[in-house]
Amino acid sequence: MAFTARAENVSPLAALKNVLQDALAVARVGRRTMHYLIRGKREPGSVARQMFAIGNQSLFFMCITMAFIGAIITFQTGLQSKKLVPDFSMIGATYLKLLIRDLAASVGALPLATRVGAGIAAEIGSMVVTEQVDALRMCAADPVDYLVVPRFIASVIMGTVILIIGGFVAYGSGMLVAQLMFDVSPHTFTNLSLVTMGDLVLGVSKAVTYGGAIALVSGQRGLATFGGSEGVGWATTEAVVGSCFAIIVLNLVISTIGYFFVPAL
Amino acid sequence: MIRLEDVHLAFGDNTVLDGVSLEVPPACIYALIGPGAAGKSVLFKVVAGLLRPASGKVFVDDEELGPLNEIELARVRKKIGMLFQNYALFDMNVAENIAFPLRRLFDLSEEEIAERVAERLERVALPGTEHRIPQSMSGGQKKRIGVARATIARPPIVLYDEPTAGLDPVTSQKIYDLVQEEQRAQDTTVMVISSDVAGVLTIADRVGMLHEGRLIFDGTTDDAKASTDPAVRQFVHGLTEGPL
Repeated sequence: MAFTARAENVSPLAALKNVLQDALAVARVGRRTMHYLIRGKREPGSVARQMFAIGNQSLFFMCITMAFIGAIITFQTGLQSKKLVPDFSMIGATYLKLLIRDLAASVGALPLATRVGAGIAAEIGSMVVTEQVDALRMCAADPVDYLVVPRFIASVIMGTVILIIGGFVAYGSGMLVAQLMFDVSPHTFTNLSLVTMGDLVLGVSKAVTYGGAIALVSGQRGLATFGGSEGVGWATTEAVVGSCFAIIVLNLVISTIGYFFVPAL
Repeated sequence: MIRLEDVHLAFGDNTVLDGVSLEVPPACIYALIGPGAAGKSVLFKVVAGLLRPASGKVFVDDEELGPLNEIELARVRKKIGMLFQNYALFDMNVAENIAFPLRRLFDLSEEEIAERVAERLERVALPGTEHRIPQSMSGGQKKRIGVARATIARPPIVLYDEPTAGLDPVTSQKIYDLVQEEQRAQDTTVMVISSDVAGVLTIADRVGMLHEGRLIFDGTTDDAKASTDPAVRQFVHGLTEGPL
Protein backbone atom coordinates (compact mmCIF):
# COMPACT_ATOMS: atom_id res chain seq x y z
CA MET A 1 0.00 0.00 0.00
CA ALA A 2 1.19 3.43 -0.82
CA PHE A 3 -0.17 5.01 2.36
CA THR A 4 2.10 3.35 4.84
CA ALA A 5 5.58 4.10 6.10
CA ARG A 6 7.10 1.54 3.75
CA ALA A 7 6.35 3.97 0.94
CA GLU A 8 7.43 7.15 2.69
CA ASN A 9 10.47 7.76 0.45
CA VAL A 10 8.39 7.44 -2.71
CA SER A 11 7.61 10.55 -4.77
CA PRO A 12 3.97 11.78 -4.72
CA LEU A 13 3.47 10.67 -8.33
CA ALA A 14 4.82 7.20 -7.62
CA ALA A 15 2.69 7.02 -4.47
CA LEU A 16 -0.41 7.88 -6.50
CA LYS A 17 0.53 5.21 -9.01
CA ASN A 18 0.90 2.73 -6.14
CA VAL A 19 -2.54 3.69 -4.81
CA LEU A 20 -4.09 3.06 -8.23
CA GLN A 21 -2.25 -0.26 -8.58
CA ASP A 22 -3.47 -1.32 -5.14
CA ALA A 23 -7.02 -0.29 -6.03
CA LEU A 24 -6.78 -2.36 -9.21
CA ALA A 25 -5.46 -5.34 -7.25
CA VAL A 26 -8.41 -5.06 -4.83
CA ALA A 27 -10.78 -4.76 -7.79
CA ARG A 28 -9.36 -7.97 -9.28
CA VAL A 29 -9.87 -9.80 -5.99
CA GLY A 30 -13.37 -8.31 -5.88
CA ARG A 31 -14.15 -9.61 -9.37
CA ARG A 32 -12.96 -13.11 -8.45
CA THR A 33 -14.90 -12.90 -5.18
CA MET A 34 -18.12 -12.17 -7.10
CA HIS A 35 -17.33 -15.06 -9.48
CA TYR A 36 -16.85 -17.51 -6.62
CA LEU A 37 -19.84 -16.17 -4.71
CA ILE A 38 -21.91 -17.73 -7.45
CA ARG A 39 -19.76 -20.64 -8.61
CA GLY A 40 -17.52 -21.33 -5.63
CA LYS A 41 -17.40 -24.39 -3.42
CA ARG A 42 -18.22 -23.55 0.22
CA GLU A 43 -16.75 -25.69 2.96
CA PRO A 44 -19.49 -26.56 5.48
CA GLY A 45 -19.38 -24.13 8.39
CA SER A 46 -16.74 -21.85 6.88
CA VAL A 47 -19.04 -18.81 6.68
CA ALA A 48 -20.48 -19.47 10.15
CA ARG A 49 -16.96 -19.64 11.62
CA GLN A 50 -16.06 -16.32 10.04
CA MET A 51 -19.35 -14.76 11.15
CA PHE A 52 -18.49 -15.75 14.70
CA ALA A 53 -14.94 -14.42 14.40
CA ILE A 54 -16.00 -11.15 12.81
CA GLY A 55 -19.26 -10.61 14.63
CA ASN A 56 -19.18 -12.04 18.08
CA GLN A 57 -15.58 -11.20 18.77
CA SER A 58 -15.96 -7.58 17.60
CA LEU A 59 -19.22 -6.83 19.35
CA PHE A 60 -17.94 -5.77 22.77
CA PHE A 61 -15.16 -3.61 21.32
CA MET A 62 -17.58 -1.95 18.91
CA CYS A 63 -20.21 -1.30 21.59
CA ILE A 64 -17.69 0.38 23.90
CA THR A 65 -16.20 2.43 21.06
CA MET A 66 -19.59 3.55 19.73
CA ALA A 67 -20.80 4.38 23.25
CA PHE A 68 -17.91 6.80 23.68
CA ILE A 69 -18.29 8.22 20.19
CA GLY A 70 -22.05 8.76 20.73
CA ALA A 71 -21.44 10.46 24.07
CA ILE A 72 -18.71 12.73 22.67
CA ILE A 73 -20.74 13.76 19.60
CA THR A 74 -23.82 14.60 21.67
CA PHE A 75 -21.79 16.48 24.27
CA GLN A 76 -19.94 18.58 21.68
CA THR A 77 -23.12 19.19 19.66
CA GLY A 78 -24.95 20.27 22.81
CA LEU A 79 -22.15 22.64 23.80
CA GLN A 80 -22.15 24.33 20.38
CA SER A 81 -25.97 24.48 20.22
CA LYS A 82 -26.05 26.11 23.61
CA LYS A 83 -24.04 29.04 22.24
CA LEU A 84 -26.17 29.49 19.11
CA VAL A 85 -29.74 28.40 19.83
CA PRO A 86 -30.26 27.39 23.43
CA ASP A 87 -33.04 25.02 22.46
CA PHE A 88 -32.38 21.31 22.75
CA SER A 89 -35.77 20.07 21.63
CA MET A 90 -34.45 18.94 18.24
CA ILE A 91 -31.03 17.70 19.33
CA GLY A 92 -32.20 14.09 19.48
CA ALA A 93 -33.97 14.23 16.12
CA THR A 94 -30.97 15.81 14.38
CA TYR A 95 -28.55 13.43 16.04
CA LEU A 96 -30.65 10.41 15.08
CA LYS A 97 -30.87 11.50 11.44
CA LEU A 98 -27.13 12.10 11.30
CA LEU A 99 -26.47 8.78 12.98
CA ILE A 100 -28.71 6.79 10.65
CA ARG A 101 -27.68 8.59 7.50
CA ASP A 102 -23.94 8.55 8.08
CA LEU A 103 -22.22 8.39 11.45
CA ALA A 104 -23.29 4.94 12.67
CA ALA A 105 -21.92 3.33 9.52
CA SER A 106 -19.04 5.63 8.58
CA VAL A 107 -17.61 6.32 12.03
CA GLY A 108 -18.35 2.81 13.26
CA ALA A 109 -16.69 1.23 10.21
CA LEU A 110 -13.30 2.73 11.10
CA PRO A 111 -12.83 0.85 14.40
CA LEU A 112 -14.45 -2.16 12.75
CA ALA A 113 -11.79 -2.00 10.03
CA THR A 114 -9.02 -2.06 12.63
CA ARG A 115 -10.49 -5.10 14.38
CA VAL A 116 -11.71 -7.11 11.38
CA GLY A 117 -9.23 -5.95 8.73
CA ALA A 118 -6.20 -6.68 10.89
CA GLY A 119 -7.57 -10.13 11.73
CA ILE A 120 -8.25 -11.08 8.12
CA ALA A 121 -4.89 -9.83 6.80
CA ALA A 122 -2.89 -11.42 9.63
CA GLU A 123 -4.60 -14.77 9.24
CA ILE A 124 -4.29 -14.95 5.46
CA GLY A 125 -0.80 -13.40 5.52
CA SER A 126 0.40 -16.06 7.98
CA MET A 127 -0.96 -18.72 5.66
CA VAL A 128 0.93 -17.17 2.75
CA VAL A 129 4.30 -17.11 4.51
CA THR A 130 3.88 -20.69 5.74
CA GLU A 131 3.08 -21.81 2.16
CA GLN A 132 -0.44 -22.88 3.16
CA VAL A 133 -1.88 -20.70 0.42
CA ASP A 134 0.36 -22.44 -2.13
CA ALA A 135 -0.80 -25.75 -0.68
CA LEU A 136 -4.41 -24.65 -1.18
CA ARG A 137 -3.69 -23.85 -4.82
CA MET A 138 -2.08 -27.28 -5.23
CA CYS A 139 -5.29 -28.81 -3.87
CA ALA A 140 -7.45 -27.07 -6.48
CA ALA A 141 -8.69 -24.54 -3.95
CA ASP A 142 -8.45 -20.98 -5.21
CA PRO A 143 -7.39 -18.88 -2.17
CA VAL A 144 -9.94 -16.22 -3.11
CA ASP A 145 -12.70 -18.83 -3.09
CA TYR A 146 -11.51 -20.63 0.02
CA LEU A 147 -10.26 -17.73 2.14
CA VAL A 148 -11.69 -14.45 0.92
CA VAL A 149 -15.26 -15.37 -0.02
CA PRO A 150 -16.33 -16.73 3.41
CA ARG A 151 -14.81 -13.67 5.07
CA PHE A 152 -16.51 -11.40 2.55
CA ILE A 153 -19.93 -12.92 3.21
CA ALA A 154 -19.40 -12.86 6.96
CA SER A 155 -18.06 -9.31 6.93
CA VAL A 156 -20.99 -8.02 4.87
CA ILE A 157 -23.57 -9.67 7.14
CA MET A 158 -21.94 -9.24 10.53
CA GLY A 159 -20.39 -5.87 9.67
CA THR A 160 -23.86 -4.54 8.89
CA VAL A 161 -25.36 -6.07 12.02
CA ILE A 162 -22.58 -4.72 14.23
CA LEU A 163 -22.75 -1.25 12.72
CA ILE A 164 -26.50 -1.18 13.33
CA ILE A 165 -26.02 -2.34 16.92
CA GLY A 166 -23.25 0.25 17.27
CA GLY A 167 -25.69 2.88 16.04
CA PHE A 168 -28.19 1.92 18.75
CA VAL A 169 -25.47 2.04 21.39
CA ALA A 170 -24.25 5.44 20.18
CA TYR A 171 -27.84 6.69 20.29
CA GLY A 172 -28.29 5.35 23.81
CA SER A 173 -25.10 6.93 25.10
CA GLY A 174 -26.04 10.19 23.38
CA MET A 175 -29.42 10.09 25.09
CA LEU A 176 -27.73 9.58 28.46
CA VAL A 177 -25.36 12.50 27.94
CA ALA A 178 -28.24 14.72 26.71
CA GLN A 179 -30.15 14.04 29.89
CA LEU A 180 -27.22 14.35 32.28
CA MET A 181 -25.54 17.39 30.71
CA PHE A 182 -28.36 19.31 29.02
CA ASP A 183 -31.50 18.15 30.82
CA VAL A 184 -33.02 16.73 27.65
CA SER A 185 -35.45 13.97 28.61
CA PRO A 186 -35.31 10.62 26.76
CA HIS A 187 -38.86 11.34 25.59
CA THR A 188 -37.73 14.60 23.91
CA PHE A 189 -34.50 13.04 22.65
CA THR A 190 -36.33 10.13 21.02
CA ASN A 191 -37.69 12.03 18.08
CA LEU A 192 -38.06 10.25 14.74
CA SER A 193 -39.65 13.20 12.93
CA LEU A 194 -36.61 13.92 10.73
CA VAL A 195 -35.83 10.33 9.78
CA THR A 196 -36.99 9.08 6.38
CA MET A 197 -36.90 5.68 4.72
CA GLY A 198 -34.26 7.12 2.38
CA ASP A 199 -31.99 7.81 5.35
CA LEU A 200 -32.33 4.21 6.48
CA VAL A 201 -31.59 2.89 3.00
CA LEU A 202 -28.55 5.13 2.71
CA GLY A 203 -27.22 4.15 6.13
CA VAL A 204 -27.68 0.42 5.59
CA SER A 205 -26.16 0.68 2.09
CA LYS A 206 -23.07 2.23 3.62
CA ALA A 207 -22.83 -0.46 6.29
CA VAL A 208 -23.14 -3.25 3.71
CA THR A 209 -20.57 -1.64 1.40
CA TYR A 210 -18.06 -1.01 4.19
CA GLY A 211 -18.38 -4.58 5.42
CA GLY A 212 -17.56 -5.87 1.95
CA ALA A 213 -14.76 -3.35 1.40
CA ILE A 214 -13.00 -4.27 4.65
CA ALA A 215 -12.98 -7.96 3.68
CA LEU A 216 -11.80 -7.33 0.11
CA VAL A 217 -9.02 -4.87 0.96
CA SER A 218 -7.78 -6.96 3.88
CA GLY A 219 -8.08 -10.22 1.96
CA GLN A 220 -6.11 -8.81 -0.95
CA ARG A 221 -3.44 -7.43 1.39
CA GLY A 222 -3.20 -10.78 3.14
CA LEU A 223 -2.78 -12.66 -0.13
CA ALA A 224 -0.12 -10.16 -1.27
CA THR A 225 1.98 -10.79 1.84
CA PHE A 226 5.64 -11.22 1.02
CA GLY A 227 8.46 -12.36 3.28
CA GLY A 228 8.22 -13.70 6.80
CA SER A 229 6.67 -12.39 10.00
CA GLU A 230 7.69 -8.83 9.09
CA GLY A 231 5.69 -9.22 5.90
CA VAL A 232 2.64 -10.28 7.92
CA GLY A 233 3.08 -7.19 10.07
CA TRP A 234 3.18 -4.97 7.02
CA ALA A 235 0.19 -6.69 5.46
CA THR A 236 -1.79 -6.13 8.66
CA THR A 237 -0.87 -2.46 8.83
CA GLU A 238 -1.65 -1.99 5.15
CA ALA A 239 -4.97 -3.76 5.52
CA VAL A 240 -6.08 -1.40 8.30
CA VAL A 241 -4.85 1.73 6.52
CA GLY A 242 -6.27 0.59 3.17
CA SER A 243 -9.63 -0.37 4.67
CA CYS A 244 -9.97 2.99 6.44
CA PHE A 245 -9.04 4.79 3.24
CA ALA A 246 -11.55 2.72 1.27
CA ILE A 247 -14.27 3.55 3.82
CA ILE A 248 -13.61 7.27 3.53
CA VAL A 249 -13.60 7.20 -0.28
CA LEU A 250 -16.75 5.03 -0.39
CA ASN A 251 -18.43 7.35 2.09
CA LEU A 252 -17.80 10.26 -0.25
CA VAL A 253 -19.14 8.28 -3.24
CA ILE A 254 -22.25 6.94 -1.51
CA SER A 255 -22.99 10.25 0.22
CA THR A 256 -22.75 12.04 -3.14
CA ILE A 257 -25.15 9.57 -4.71
CA GLY A 258 -27.39 9.90 -1.65
CA TYR A 259 -27.33 13.69 -1.93
CA PHE A 260 -28.97 13.44 -5.35
CA PHE A 261 -31.25 10.45 -4.86
CA VAL A 262 -32.00 10.54 -1.12
CA PRO A 263 -31.74 14.23 -0.23
CA ALA A 264 -31.61 15.17 3.43
CA LEU A 265 -34.64 17.18 4.49
CA MET B 1 6.79 -35.57 -18.20
CA ILE B 2 8.19 -32.20 -17.10
CA ARG B 3 10.22 -29.93 -19.36
CA LEU B 4 11.72 -26.51 -18.79
CA GLU B 5 13.19 -24.47 -21.63
CA ASP B 6 15.47 -21.52 -20.85
CA VAL B 7 13.53 -20.42 -17.79
CA HIS B 8 14.47 -17.10 -16.22
CA LEU B 9 13.01 -15.68 -13.04
CA ALA B 10 14.08 -12.84 -10.77
CA PHE B 11 12.71 -11.16 -7.64
CA GLY B 12 13.66 -7.53 -8.16
CA ASP B 13 17.41 -7.47 -8.78
CA ASN B 14 17.88 -10.97 -7.43
CA THR B 15 18.13 -13.46 -10.29
CA VAL B 16 16.81 -16.78 -9.01
CA LEU B 17 16.60 -18.89 -12.17
CA ASP B 18 19.00 -18.02 -14.95
CA GLY B 19 18.23 -19.91 -18.14
CA VAL B 20 17.31 -23.28 -16.66
CA SER B 21 16.49 -26.05 -19.14
CA LEU B 22 15.80 -29.58 -18.02
CA GLU B 23 13.63 -32.56 -18.78
CA VAL B 24 12.28 -35.10 -16.33
CA PRO B 25 11.22 -38.29 -18.14
CA PRO B 26 8.01 -40.05 -17.10
CA ALA B 27 8.13 -42.52 -14.19
CA CYS B 28 11.52 -41.23 -13.10
CA ILE B 29 12.81 -40.01 -9.74
CA TYR B 30 14.69 -36.80 -10.41
CA ALA B 31 16.77 -35.41 -7.56
CA LEU B 32 17.35 -31.67 -7.61
CA ILE B 33 20.34 -30.78 -5.50
CA GLY B 34 22.33 -27.64 -4.88
CA PRO B 35 23.48 -25.28 -2.17
CA GLY B 36 21.03 -23.09 -0.27
CA ALA B 37 19.38 -20.24 -2.21
CA ALA B 38 20.24 -21.91 -5.51
CA GLY B 39 16.63 -21.60 -6.69
CA LYS B 40 15.47 -25.19 -6.13
CA SER B 41 12.19 -24.44 -4.32
CA VAL B 42 11.44 -21.64 -6.75
CA LEU B 43 11.95 -24.07 -9.63
CA PHE B 44 9.40 -26.40 -8.03
CA LYS B 45 6.90 -23.56 -7.77
CA VAL B 46 7.50 -22.74 -11.43
CA VAL B 47 6.83 -26.37 -12.38
CA ALA B 48 3.64 -26.33 -10.26
CA GLY B 49 2.49 -23.09 -11.88
CA LEU B 50 2.60 -21.27 -8.54
CA LEU B 51 5.14 -18.81 -9.94
CA ARG B 52 5.33 -17.57 -13.51
CA PRO B 53 8.80 -17.28 -15.07
CA ALA B 54 9.85 -13.96 -16.56
CA SER B 55 10.78 -15.82 -19.74
CA GLY B 56 11.16 -19.37 -20.99
CA LYS B 57 8.70 -22.22 -21.27
CA VAL B 58 7.45 -24.80 -18.79
CA PHE B 59 5.69 -27.94 -19.96
CA VAL B 60 3.79 -30.42 -17.83
CA ASP B 61 2.63 -33.44 -19.81
CA ASP B 62 3.36 -31.53 -23.04
CA GLU B 63 1.06 -28.68 -22.00
CA GLU B 64 2.75 -25.29 -21.79
CA LEU B 65 1.88 -23.45 -18.58
CA GLY B 66 2.75 -19.94 -19.80
CA PRO B 67 -0.49 -19.11 -21.67
CA LEU B 68 -2.77 -20.67 -19.04
CA ASN B 69 -4.91 -18.55 -16.72
CA GLU B 70 -5.41 -19.38 -13.03
CA ILE B 71 -8.45 -21.60 -13.67
CA GLU B 72 -6.61 -23.56 -16.40
CA LEU B 73 -3.54 -23.83 -14.18
CA ALA B 74 -5.75 -25.32 -11.45
CA ARG B 75 -6.65 -28.07 -13.94
CA VAL B 76 -2.94 -28.80 -14.57
CA ARG B 77 -2.19 -28.76 -10.84
CA LYS B 78 -4.63 -31.63 -10.39
CA LYS B 79 -1.91 -33.76 -11.98
CA ILE B 80 0.66 -32.64 -9.40
CA GLY B 81 1.02 -33.45 -5.72
CA MET B 82 3.46 -31.40 -3.68
CA LEU B 83 5.16 -31.80 -0.33
CA PHE B 84 6.22 -28.41 0.97
CA GLN B 85 9.50 -27.80 2.74
CA ASN B 86 7.76 -26.41 5.85
CA TYR B 87 4.91 -28.92 5.69
CA ALA B 88 2.24 -26.25 4.88
CA LEU B 89 -0.31 -28.26 6.84
CA PHE B 90 -3.61 -26.54 7.48
CA ASP B 91 -5.09 -25.74 10.89
CA MET B 92 -7.18 -28.89 10.77
CA ASN B 93 -6.75 -32.36 12.16
CA VAL B 94 -4.67 -34.98 10.35
CA ALA B 95 -7.60 -36.61 8.55
CA GLU B 96 -8.99 -33.30 7.29
CA ASN B 97 -5.54 -32.27 6.06
CA ILE B 98 -5.02 -35.47 4.12
CA ALA B 99 -8.57 -35.56 2.79
CA PHE B 100 -8.45 -31.94 1.63
CA PRO B 101 -7.37 -32.61 -1.99
CA LEU B 102 -9.92 -35.41 -2.30
CA ARG B 103 -12.76 -33.15 -1.20
CA ARG B 104 -11.72 -30.44 -3.64
CA LEU B 105 -11.00 -32.72 -6.60
CA PHE B 106 -13.49 -35.56 -6.41
CA ASP B 107 -17.07 -36.12 -5.43
CA LEU B 108 -16.54 -38.99 -3.02
CA SER B 109 -18.68 -40.17 -0.14
CA GLU B 110 -17.47 -39.63 3.43
CA GLU B 111 -16.95 -43.39 3.77
CA GLU B 112 -14.72 -43.49 0.71
CA ILE B 113 -12.74 -40.50 1.91
CA ALA B 114 -12.26 -42.01 5.37
CA GLU B 115 -11.13 -45.26 3.76
CA ARG B 116 -8.60 -43.52 1.53
CA VAL B 117 -7.28 -41.45 4.45
CA ALA B 118 -6.88 -44.55 6.61
CA GLU B 119 -5.06 -46.31 3.77
CA ARG B 120 -2.68 -43.34 3.33
CA LEU B 121 -2.01 -43.13 7.05
CA GLU B 122 -1.26 -46.83 7.10
CA ARG B 123 1.10 -46.31 4.17
CA VAL B 124 3.04 -43.53 5.92
CA ALA B 125 3.15 -45.53 9.17
CA LEU B 126 0.84 -43.24 11.11
CA PRO B 127 -2.28 -45.36 11.54
CA GLY B 128 -4.94 -44.17 13.93
CA THR B 129 -3.75 -40.54 14.01
CA GLU B 130 -6.76 -39.15 12.11
CA HIS B 131 -7.96 -36.93 14.93
CA ARG B 132 -4.60 -35.58 16.06
CA ILE B 133 -3.62 -31.98 15.39
CA PRO B 134 -0.46 -31.75 13.20
CA GLN B 135 0.95 -28.86 15.24
CA SER B 136 1.33 -31.23 18.18
CA MET B 137 3.26 -33.80 16.15
CA SER B 138 6.99 -34.20 15.43
CA GLY B 139 8.74 -32.96 12.29
CA GLY B 140 9.01 -36.47 10.85
CA GLN B 141 5.32 -37.13 11.44
CA LYS B 142 4.38 -33.84 9.80
CA LYS B 143 6.50 -34.74 6.78
CA ARG B 144 4.71 -38.05 6.51
CA ILE B 145 1.33 -36.34 6.75
CA GLY B 146 2.52 -34.04 3.98
CA VAL B 147 3.51 -37.06 1.88
CA ALA B 148 0.08 -38.61 2.49
CA ARG B 149 -1.67 -35.39 1.44
CA ALA B 150 0.53 -34.99 -1.65
CA THR B 151 -0.20 -38.51 -2.86
CA ILE B 152 -3.79 -39.21 -1.76
CA ALA B 153 -5.31 -38.03 -5.03
CA ARG B 154 -2.87 -40.32 -6.91
CA PRO B 155 -1.37 -37.57 -9.05
CA PRO B 156 0.92 -38.68 -11.88
CA ILE B 157 3.56 -36.14 -10.80
CA VAL B 158 4.78 -35.60 -7.24
CA LEU B 159 7.17 -32.88 -6.08
CA TYR B 160 8.91 -33.38 -2.72
CA ASP B 161 10.64 -30.26 -1.37
CA GLU B 162 13.19 -31.26 1.26
CA PRO B 163 11.31 -34.30 2.53
CA THR B 164 14.01 -35.09 5.08
CA ALA B 165 15.15 -31.65 6.25
CA GLY B 166 15.69 -31.60 9.99
CA LEU B 167 15.01 -35.30 10.42
CA ASP B 168 17.24 -37.92 12.01
CA PRO B 169 19.00 -40.41 9.67
CA VAL B 170 16.62 -43.28 10.43
CA THR B 171 13.49 -41.22 9.82
CA SER B 172 15.13 -39.75 6.71
CA GLN B 173 15.77 -43.17 5.25
CA LYS B 174 12.18 -44.20 6.04
CA ILE B 175 10.94 -41.15 4.15
CA TYR B 176 13.17 -41.94 1.17
CA ASP B 177 11.96 -45.53 1.18
CA LEU B 178 8.39 -44.24 1.29
CA VAL B 179 9.01 -41.88 -1.65
CA GLN B 180 10.51 -44.71 -3.66
CA GLU B 181 7.76 -47.20 -2.78
CA GLU B 182 5.11 -44.65 -3.69
CA GLN B 183 6.81 -43.96 -7.00
CA ARG B 184 7.10 -47.67 -7.82
CA ALA B 185 3.53 -48.39 -6.74
CA GLN B 186 1.92 -45.60 -8.77
CA ASP B 187 4.54 -45.25 -11.53
CA THR B 188 4.61 -41.54 -10.92
CA THR B 189 7.09 -38.94 -12.10
CA VAL B 190 8.87 -37.63 -9.02
CA MET B 191 11.09 -34.64 -8.38
CA VAL B 192 12.86 -34.43 -5.03
CA ILE B 193 14.78 -31.50 -3.63
CA SER B 194 17.18 -32.53 -0.93
CA SER B 195 20.23 -31.18 0.84
CA ASP B 196 20.92 -34.73 1.99
CA VAL B 197 22.76 -35.68 -1.20
CA ALA B 198 23.92 -39.12 -0.07
CA GLY B 199 20.39 -40.07 0.94
CA VAL B 200 18.58 -38.79 -2.11
CA LEU B 201 21.06 -40.40 -4.50
CA THR B 202 20.07 -43.81 -3.12
CA ILE B 203 16.61 -43.44 -4.70
CA ALA B 204 17.16 -41.09 -7.65
CA ASP B 205 17.32 -42.17 -11.28
CA ARG B 206 18.54 -38.80 -12.48
CA VAL B 207 20.15 -35.80 -10.81
CA GLY B 208 20.20 -32.09 -11.57
CA MET B 209 22.32 -29.59 -9.70
CA LEU B 210 21.39 -25.93 -9.45
CA HIS B 211 23.97 -23.35 -8.51
CA GLU B 212 23.24 -19.62 -8.45
CA GLY B 213 20.13 -20.14 -10.54
CA ARG B 214 21.84 -22.18 -13.27
CA LEU B 215 21.59 -25.89 -13.89
CA ILE B 216 25.25 -26.87 -13.83
CA PHE B 217 24.66 -30.63 -13.99
CA ASP B 218 21.97 -32.89 -15.41
CA GLY B 219 22.56 -36.63 -15.71
CA THR B 220 22.26 -40.02 -14.11
CA THR B 221 23.13 -40.71 -10.49
CA ASP B 222 26.32 -42.50 -11.54
CA ASP B 223 27.30 -39.57 -13.75
CA ALA B 224 26.81 -37.23 -10.79
CA LYS B 225 29.04 -39.34 -8.56
CA ALA B 226 31.71 -39.49 -11.26
CA SER B 227 31.44 -35.85 -12.32
CA THR B 228 34.69 -33.94 -12.67
CA ASP B 229 32.97 -30.55 -12.47
CA PRO B 230 34.55 -29.02 -9.34
CA ALA B 231 31.26 -27.67 -7.92
CA VAL B 232 29.32 -30.88 -8.59
CA ARG B 233 32.14 -33.01 -7.23
CA GLN B 234 32.43 -30.89 -4.10
CA PHE B 235 28.68 -30.91 -3.43
CA VAL B 236 28.01 -34.57 -4.22
CA HIS B 237 30.93 -35.80 -2.14
CA GLY B 238 30.54 -33.22 0.61
CA LEU B 239 34.08 -31.84 0.28
CA THR B 240 35.13 -28.71 2.11
CA GLU B 241 37.63 -27.69 -0.57
CA GLY B 242 36.17 -26.39 -3.82
CA PRO B 243 34.41 -23.50 -5.48
CA LEU B 244 31.25 -23.59 -3.34
